[in-house]
Amino acid sequence: MFKSLTAILLISISLLLTGCGEDQYAIERKYWHLQKQAEKIFKNPKVSPPNELIAVVQLFTDFANKRPNSSLAVDAEFTIVRLYLAKENYDSARAKLKRMLDKYSKYKLICSESLFLMGYTYEADKKWDLALEQYRRIMREYPDTRRGIDIPIYIAEYHRTKYQPEKMVAALQEAIVHYRALAIRFPDSPVSFTASILVGECYLALKDWQAAVDTFDNVVNTYKDKAVVDNILFNMAIIYQRELKNGTKAKEVLERLIKEYPKSALAKQATALLGEWSKK
Amino acid sequence: MSSQKTPAPSIVKAYDITVKSLKRHPALFLPFVIFLICDLISLAALYLAPRAPFIKLFGPVIRTFWGERFLHYPLNFLLLPKLASLARMGVSIVFGSLLTGMAVAIMYNIYNHKRVIKLSEAFKLALKKYLYLFIVVAFFTLLFYFLLKFIPKGLLYYFIVGRHKQLLFLGINFWLGPFLLIVNFLLAIFIQSAFIYAIPLLIIENEKLLGAIWRSFILFIKLFIPTTIMVTLPMLFYVPIVILQHKNAFLVYRVFPEIVLLISVLNAALSALVVDCMMTVSTTVLYLLHKENKVS
Repeated sequence: MFKSLTAILLISISLLLTGCGEDQYAIERKYWHLQKQAEKIFKNPKVSPPNELIAVVQLFTDFANKRPNSSLAVDAEFTIVRLYLAKENYDSARAKLKRMLDKYSKYKLICSESLFLMGYTYEADKKWDLALEQYRRIMREYPDTRRGIDIPIYIAEYHRTKYQPEKMVAALQEAIVHYRALAIRFPDSPVSFTASILVGECYLALKDWQAAVDTFDNVVNTYKDKAVVDNILFNMAIIYQRELKNGTKAKEVLERLIKEYPKSALAKQATALLGEWSKK
Repeated sequence: MSSQKTPAPSIVKAYDITVKSLKRHPALFLPFVIFLICDLISLAALYLAPRAPFIKLFGPVIRTFWGERFLHYPLNFLLLPKLASLARMGVSIVFGSLLTGMAVAIMYNIYNHKRVIKLSEAFKLALKKYLYLFIVVAFFTLLFYFLLKFIPKGLLYYFIVGRHKQLLFLGINFWLGPFLLIVNFLLAIFIQSAFIYAIPLLIIENEKLLGAIWRSFILFIKLFIPTTIMVTLPMLFYVPIVILQHKNAFLVYRVFPEIVLLISVLNAALSALVVDCMMTVSTTVLYLLHKENKVS
């Protein structure tokens, strides 16, 4: 009995030791512990001593250099940039981003993110014009990436938070032109669909309600067979009812939503809204 | 059959015999040690699930039922207690049933013949009844599992589909939080207590399957207080573990992820060597005392 118990124990220990080499899981584990070190700086960037930053940056650099083929290596390099940003060490952050742009020049997602962070270093350094230069470069060179799609609205949002209404309006108009061009450049693609919706969102921000519903209507008619557009129909109905005070049109759109998407969760809300409006 | 009511056996006496038997005959622990080893092997395999070569076996299952993210560090530790609990159910049904039968056979011989039978002898005795033991343990394990699944689903349906904000003046956070923990605990006590005598009845009295389940339930009603106490007391050891496992996410992110594995190992050890051992042996003794009272 004792022998068989010992054998089972030995098998268990050997099972535990299996995979102790550095596989993807081991890399993730190592990276998670590194992130915990970085967290200390992120939590209190002003209090943490400079040598702590140097030590943590070195750990991340070693991690990235030892595992150049891991996706976490890129993440480690971005964490280094964010650490410099947290410590307001903008020059080091920009130098690191420049090296990343050269190193990963073939990967547009990494490049667009690097350019965004580069712009952000200028923005945090209160050099908006230089930041804008980087943001426009993303719009030009990487328009179909997530950052490329988000950035025109990000610029408008910046002016809104800085209480610059004229610049915000100009940025939104520029965004509309950009998104329309994008929809034409990437026809019948998810980029085109997203860009078309964002045109409508820009009109909403400009409070041009009629242009917004016209745009959304166009999106619905173009993409109804390729994508689920129940939420766009719902938003259109709300705009007709609340902003354009056109109850008939709002009702018509909601009825279309219920008819075309009877199983959608929004169909239930639409039915409830129709009931509510009919009481009034 | 005597019409006079048989007096309930004393809990103190049952515990006294249990503790003395465990002290004098450490062989009584063996079935539970074997169960612990089986449980630890399954836990080790689950801990290694995101790594080669185990990922080939567990990867597709985890990906399908819980998602890819639980195959990565440290999120795999959030899923580990749930997987360990499911694995323990399987281990309990397949091996635990046989091992509990062996433990009951050993205790019966210690009580009646003042001797420890060989483990191989106990194994043969339990193996003869394995099919029944398997069905009994599977029955109450699955009953517990499905009841546990049904209650949160019912609550979620009430709050989310029914769009209710409160139930008996309390919000969703209470009902899906502390309330569920308490209900789980009470359900575990009730189901264990109701069917705890089924295995002694199968092994000692050579009862048939349905007869054992039915008589176990009748015996539970007759010996309601002593049985409930003898099941509840060892289960109280679970309380700190249950609380710790409820705070799983906090432990992973605020302490260190591997603590979840340590808690799971502690849970397995406590479950096999304290809770299961005390519960099985003491209720077998209680049954034997009750039988003795009945005869005398």
